[in-house]
Amino acid sequence: MLGLLLQVSFRNLFRSRINLLIGTIIFFGTLLLVVGGAMLDSLVGSMSRSIVGTVSGHIQLYSERSRDALAIWPTAGTEPDLSPMQDYPRVQTEIAKLPNVKAVVPMGINGSLITSGNTVDLTLEELRGVVRQEKEHGSTPLLEAQRQSLKEHVRQIVRVLHDDLSHAKEMETTDARDPEALAAVERASSDAFWQGFDQNPYAALEFLENKVAPQLPDGDLVALRYLGTDLDGFARSFDRMEIVDGQAVPAGRRGMLLSKFTYEEFLKLKTARRLDLIKEAVDTGTRIVSDPELQRFVRENKQQTREILLQLDRLKTETAVQRLRALLGRSDGTLDELLSSFFDINDENFQARYAFFYGELAPLLQLYRLKVGDVLTLTAFTRSGYTKSLNVPVWGTFQFKGLEKSPLAGNICLMDIMSFRELYGYLSADTSAEIATLKKEAGAEAVDRSRAEEELFGTARKVVVEAAPALIDDKQAFSAAGGDLRRKELQPRAFDQADITKGVVLNAAVILKNPAKLKQTLKDIQALSEREQLGVRAISWQDAAGTLGQLVNLARLVLYVAVLIIFVVMMVIINNAMMMATLRRTAEVGTMRAIGAQRPFILAMVLAETLSLGVFFGGFGALVGSGIVAWLGSNGIRATTDIMYFFFSGPRLYPHLSPGNVIWAMVIVLIVSVVSTLYPAFLAARVPPVRAMQTDE
Amino acid sequence: MGPIVSIIDVYKEYSLGKTVVPALRGVSLDVGAGEFISIAGPSGSGKTTLLNLIGCVDVATRGTVVVAGKNTAELSERELTSLRLNTIGFIFQSFNLVPVLSVFQNVEFPLLLQRRLNKAERKKRVIALLEQVGIATHADHRPSELSGGQRQRVAVARALVGNPQIVLADEPTANLDSVTGEHIIDLMKELNERDGTTFIFSTHDARVMSHANAVIRLEDGKIVGREHPAASAHAAGMH
Repeated sequence: MLGLLLQVSFRNLFRSRINLLIGTIIFFGTLLLVVGGAMLDSLVGSMSRSIVGTVSGHIQLYSERSRDALAIWPTAGTEPDLSPMQDYPRVQTEIAKLPNVKAVVPMGINGSLITSGNTVDLTLEELRGVVRQEKEHGSTPLLEAQRQSLKEHVRQIVRVLHDDLSHAKEMETTDARDPEALAAVERASSDAFWQGFDQNPYAALEFLENKVAPQLPDGDLVALRYLGTDLDGFARSFDRMEIVDGQAVPAGRRGMLLSKFTYEEFLKLKTARRLDLIKEAVDTGTRIVSDPELQRFVRENKQQTREILLQLDRLKTETAVQRLRALLGRSDGTLDELLSSFFDINDENFQARYAFFYGELAPLLQLYRLKVGDVLTLTAFTRSGYTKSLNVPVWGTFQFKGLEKSPLAGNICLMDIMSFRELYGYLSADTSAEIATLKKEAGAEAVDRSRAEEELFGTARKVVVEAAPALIDDKQAFSAAGGDLRRKELQPRAFDQADITKGVVLNAAVILKNPAKLKQTLKDIQALSEREQLGVRAISWQDAAGTLGQLVNLARLVLYVAVLIIFVVMMVIINNAMMMATLRRTAEVGTMRAIGAQRPFILAMVLAETLSLGVFFGGFGALVGSGIVAWLGSNGIRATTDIMYFFFSGPRLYPHLSPGNVIWAMVIVLIVSVVSTLYPAFLAARVPPVRAMQTDE
Repeated sequence: MGPIVSIIDVYKEYSLGKTVVPALRGVSLDVGAGEFISIAGPSGSGKTTLLNLIGCVDVATRGTVVVAGKNTAELSERELTSLRLNTIGFIFQSFNLVPVLSVFQNVEFPLLLQRRLNKAERKKRVIALLEQVGIATHADHRPSELSGGQRQRVAVARALVGNPQIVLADEPTANLDSVTGEHIIDLMKELNERDGTTFIFSTHDARVMSHANAVIRLEDGKIVGREHPAASAHAAGMH
């Protein structure tokens, strides 16, 4: 009987055009479901690899007392307000005991502004240093030469500024400018000023620092987001992280690692960075002539030569001019003009100019504002709202494998958690000790509020010491205990593993052994937290990611809506088509009923027919869909934007098919087929047997 | 033994919108087992309606229809279907074979519905029937590959395969040429004589009627006469 049903239905498959239509719908429906499902799964997979593998881990923990929800990539751009965890050492120990937990890494995210001091400030400071050394230890030929070179450099900078001002004069009325400032520049450009420099270098320097330097635009303010963490634990748990320049921060030492992306994007000489971006685009087949963004880079490079002009002292300027004249085949032209025509780049000369820039010009320049090994001064708002500055040595740069070009993965730098805590506004043990020492040095004492008046102004006052007017001897001041500690800040200050867990921890990443059991582990952590009163809230990487995590949901939603539309369209078309097919076959159905087929038989027959349509065309669609996914899987889909780069967890997304995708698609298609055939099948079962006797159609 | 079909004062009316069209108006008829009866009359006289009532594919508006001892008015839809399956065979004017099934499968179809025989038994029975109607060599063909006469032979085999007591045929020769039609009637007659199956068929072809042992004449939904042409033809032959 079943065999007959299947045979009737299967043979009916190719009988009518209607079935072919239904088949086509089912074919494309399944195809879309298989391809869409596989793509989405792969996308979710790669997004999760990006999010999980860079910062969040599988699960994030934070204090349940926090006012805001944790968001690693916050929507509004402001860091969420998190309370520190109450007893982090216990949290770490207890949660690490769970069977599926591989590691717990303490964290905290904050932002800070850094000013990459401008060239004139840096050069003046160097000059001052040389002058001081000469004063203190006597001059040497080397120092003498250095002084002359730096002087030349400052003169060069003043010359650039002077030129700027005279250009400006042509365009605007001089009234708008501060005459004192103009006079200062005039004076600083004069030969007399420079001849007199050596007689009183400190006065000259002070004049330059106070009157001239402020007229030069300051260096960029760069916003830096940093993650304070147990750097060793982080490197062990997030294995996509790799050091690019320099080295990892040694265990127990303070310091930070800049993300390579930030380093390149914000701290590299802009002209060089733009050349790199052009190079990258040209190497992947983009042509400058047809790409507006590349043309903009070229234009900006032509116009913004100042950064280079300021960096070069007279000797280097001469060298650069000679080299550029030789390349461009010109016998005249200032550096400014030469640079402008050098940066007039097109598809033909690009590779040569690029090579020339890095071969001939770059050695004369400082490509990065900040070098590995430098100390970075970070200024951040503490939790209580004050600003706090801290010097942190930069040990190197790092990147996440496969996400080198993603701004999202690259916008977070890494810092030891001790420095993080200080910037965050909590005192570390040694800072407290330092403050205590300073207080003792200065003879400061705590004054009881109720006795304050008596203590300060009464006759028996002990706390107020009469100050004797005297010159401040900074040598002595800095040799005292406080100064000693202050200098030490720049030197390695060691801390041990216990210190890492002891202090403030805002959030923590939990790395799982089996990520598939994430939901269960979340529940376990929550239960554990309640039982042990750990006071932590556990959220999945998806929730922790903030906006980005929502994009995963958005992608899902889009697929579901698409599925729903396919669903409805399929239903309507299949329903209509089956109605027509049924009406056409009333004689056949009537005959079967007359011969003795019961209604359920007819119902089963029609349903079997759509089912076999579904299996046949759906199977075919799934097959072709799998083929497409396999093809995409071997060729990959290219990430064309920065955000796609992050979502694809690399330059290309390689979708892969799981059996679940096919099963899911087939189940949906079969359900839709059957449901949309129910009514036509019901109608068919109602065809009266007397219909067999009516021959007129 | 009583009649296998007994119709007592049966009325059948169809509603066409607000007007009621009477198809049968007080028909009474007894058919004995083993009869070979023709129902004759012009178009619209109620032949097909009468066959529908006997075939249990339709029910009377008034009156009693008893088929194989069962009052059809008292049976459920399901029981009627079951009665058709096991008691009645149908031969249709347009053959009504299932196009996607082979000749063999078309004939096997009622046996599958009956669920009485196993596969081997079914095969034996179907082949036997196909041999009787002379179409065994075409068992694997599809209906579309057969001529009209061959198709009707398949239909005859399908009607008989379930061992029905009654075979109803509605204008079985209407779509066939006269020679082929004659063959089909001969075949039906032969099976009637050999197995004793009751045949009731409608026709307006006088030559076809001449094979019947009784011709019921219908006009305007009423029986207007009952003849015995075979007997008279037989008698004529005797002269």
